[in-house]
Amino acid sequence: MDFKDLPDEELWLQMQDDLYDGLKDEVAEQTHEALRRGYGPTEVLAKGLVAGMDIVGVDFRDGVLFVPEVLMAANAMKAGMEILRPLLTQTGAPRIGTMVIGTVKGDIHDIGKNLVSMMMEGAGFEVINLGVNNDADKFVAAVREHNADILGMSALLTTTMPYMKVVIQALKDEGLRDKVFVMVGGAPVSEAFAEEIEADAYGRDAATAVDIAKKYMAWKNEKKALA
Amino acid sequence: MSQITHRVVFQPSGHQGDVAEGTTLLEAARQLGVDVDSICGGRQTCGKCKVVIQGGRFDKLGITSSLDHVTPAGDDEARYFARRSPADCPSQGDALRLSCAARVVGDVLVTVPPESSRRRQVVRKDAGDRPITIDPILRQVFVEVEPNVLGGRKGDWERLQEALQREWGLADLSIDIHALRRLTPALKAGKQAVTAVIWNEREVIDVRAGFRDALYGLAADVGSTTIVAHLCDLHTGAVLATESTMNPQVTFGEDLMSRVSYAMMHDDGLGKMQAAVIGALNALATRAAASAGIAADDIYEAVLVGNTVMHHILLGLDPTELGAAPFTLATHAPVDVKARDLGLRIHPAANVHLPALEAGHVGADNVAVLIAEAPDQQDEMMLVIDVGTNAEILLGNREGVWSCSSPTGPAFEGAQITHGQRAAPGAIERVRIDRATGRPRFKVIGNDLWSDEQPASSIKATGICGSGIIEVVAELFMAGLLGADGAFRHHESAVGGHGTDPAHGLSSPSCHLRFNGRKGEYVLATADQTLSGREIVVTQDDVRNVQLAKAALYAGCKLLMRRRGILRVDRIVLAGAFGSYIDPLHAMVLGMFPDCDLGRVVAVGNAAGDGARIALLNRARRAESARAARNVHYIETAIDPHFQEEFVNAMHLPNRADPFPHLQAIGVLPAQACPPEEDARAKRRRERRERSADPSEVGSWQ
Repeated sequence: MDFKDLPDEELWLQMQDDLYDGLKDEVAEQTHEALRRGYGPTEVLAKGLVAGMDIVGVDFRDGVLFVPEVLMAANAMKAGMEILRPLLTQTGAPRIGTMVIGTVKGDIHDIGKNLVSMMMEGAGFEVINLGVNNDADKFVAAVREHNADILGMSALLTTTMPYMKVVIQALKDEGLRDKVFVMVGGAPVSEAFAEEIEADAYGRDAATAVDIAKKYMAWKNEKKALA
Repeated sequence: MSQITHRVVFQPSGHQGDVAEGTTLLEAARQLGVDVDSICGGRQTCGKCKVVIQGGRFDKLGITSSLDHVTPAGDDEARYFARRSPADCPSQGDALRLSCAARVVGDVLVTVPPESSRRRQVVRKDAGDRPITIDPILRQVFVEVEPNVLGGRKGDWERLQEALQREWGLADLSIDIHALRRLTPALKAGKQAVTAVIWNEREVIDVRAGFRDALYGLAADVGSTTIVAHLCDLHTGAVLATESTMNPQVTFGEDLMSRVSYAMMHDDGLGKMQAAVIGALNALATRAAASAGIAADDIYEAVLVGNTVMHHILLGLDPTELGAAPFTLATHAPVDVKARDLGLRIHPAANVHLPALEAGHVGADNVAVLIAEAPDQQDEMMLVIDVGTNAEILLGNREGVWSCSSPTGPAFEGAQITHGQRAAPGAIERVRIDRATGRPRFKVIGNDLWSDEQPASSIKATGICGSGIIEVVAELFMAGLLGADGAFRHHESAVGGHGTDPAHGLSSPSCHLRFNGRKGEYVLATADQTLSGREIVVTQDDVRNVQLAKAALYAGCKLLMRRRGILRVDRIVLAGAFGSYIDPLHAMVLGMFPDCDLGRVVAVGNAAGDGARIALLNRARRAESARAARNVHYIETAIDPHFQEEFVNAMHLPNRADPFPHLQAIGVLPAQACPPEEDARAKRRRERRERSADPSEVGSWQ
């Protein structure tokens, strides 16, 4: 399909559709095309990629899309991001926020956390993915190094989720707790557990996690503006 | 300081008592001996423990009950009910509560609906009939001992040793203290003639007067949900009795990890769980002995198999390390321990044998499957799948055997499924959906007729059990009501877009498929066909949970095949009780395991139990199993670089990447509707446009 003839508005829509369908070559070409038409990287990111991932997020939350489709879409998003990233760095455009994410010590499950990570990137966050089996020192060091706005922790086992509390304590000990918004998730985790360990939020699924993160960033920026 | 208590009365059982303020209704039920099911262990997610709070003054009981005599529903509980389908919507309104969440703050009358009772399980595990050579580790020998003489300087034991050496060639024996205590009276009563029971040619574990030939053994499969015990005659190998029971540890958490957490979080957690399982084994041994007409004291040997967590708890070994990577076992080696050291009430000096363990998550039960199926002794490439909450998979032939464990979760046992339940009378176990009309017919356990062969009112369906869940999802897919991606499909005319409002679910191809907003839901049993008078439905989320479970299983199989470097297997063996009730065709259509000639997919029943029986009856094969266990190549699936790819591909029905030529050949897979690409895109775009115009709100983070 030739999208070079599409009017700009249609191009954005086509980009969102192809991203939804996980067509990464198309999304990459459309990203180039939008840049060629003179749009800045921030605008291409917002109007094409992020807008597309927003729809994916809603459909995932509603059960219309499932993990394989979301991963395909996220890969398409990534293809576009790879083109935009150097330009965004050049222009010094601020990212919506920075998140450090990882699975806690003793737990080697990856997929759910990767899904959150990809959807967060899809929403325009800078994501530092620490992988699996992370101890408190690793989380703390990453939060400090990247000056993270948000820390995401995942656990898939009832036996490993208590470790999240250890990490939160370590953040307190290091004086970082007030600087970072802590989100937790994973199959055995619940709202009540999140409250009990004094996390800031529980992400029931990847789409919800993104919504919460965005709301938090909006709130944080507003507070900053008022200050 | 005395504690504030309140009176709690349960209906219909009538149990009542005073419980401390703040006690959850589930705990209260347990304290008072009321049967209330729980699968998630009180985490407010399974919904199996629903109860109804009755309001009003009950003079006969002398209490005034009220909805606010329990704490109000918190977020988790509210979310649980919000997730449920409207079909499940209680006419009881707010009175329907999760008993694990509602805490007692005043006198209260509680009704336990039938679907919340655990009831007695239909446990269908029979001892298979595999040929076993009878050569147990025990022997029973009759000897005449020389009488002592004045000045002989030889005790009874020394003279028994001489007799055993002389008559049976048995040397270097030791004697158990229990046998020693019985020796002198036995010699006296038997006039120097006694029967000795010798374990492994090296220890005398019993001595009885005169001649006896009673020698029995117990082989038990200690599953996390069910325990099955076979009482065997060690002379003939005959199974004299088979008894089963629920594993009472279920109270401490349904899945293995919640039991490990229970041990982690409670000082006496391990002790309590060990006592529970030993108690259950004692009850089984007593029942089996009674039904066979023997004394429990004549059971001289036991073989217990189970997963690693069951194994550790049984032996009183702290399972904490099994809860987190690197999943270190206390030992991989087989364990032999005296029955009395475990509190097992069979013969006190009886030996209890637990076979070797393979890896952190692959236990003695899988070693027992290995003994029974012996893939390592055949040329055929064999895939052995023990389906359970945690599936254990073996792949190989005489050139080598690989194994892994796959966390399928409890979906196949009915948990995490809106109307899921365990296999019990009333559970839907078979489903067929008419390809043309989309109408279902089904069969429930305990009723031989299909639902369309009897009046609706006599069906009394209560839920869907594992085999029914597999069949309904596979049938929905074959009938074209479900896409390969697992999403319920709007009928073509609906998506054609002639102004139907998706919110009202119009124009679906079957009146059984409807849409709540954009989420599909299939009505499997109508209100008049169920016991509760409420519909039994399959929701989009249910399908998603099945997809996750079956994808984990398939990915495990596929990773083993990749590691072995093969694309197909010759034979698939489904082990475990559940495996016997799965229809191979439906399971393959779902994509639970790789393509194979359907005629070569066989269910072998409780192979772990059979393996335990083999280890009980044949000592050479018992010894072999320890070697075989060491030689199995174990794969940790979660950290395999291909796991994510295989897992994600396997979420599609039957699989996004792998072909199923045997299913293609019999034409059961639906032709995938392929609308012209441009149309499909235009349609999707229109749908999305409509959606984004109406951004639904999301939960706040505060």
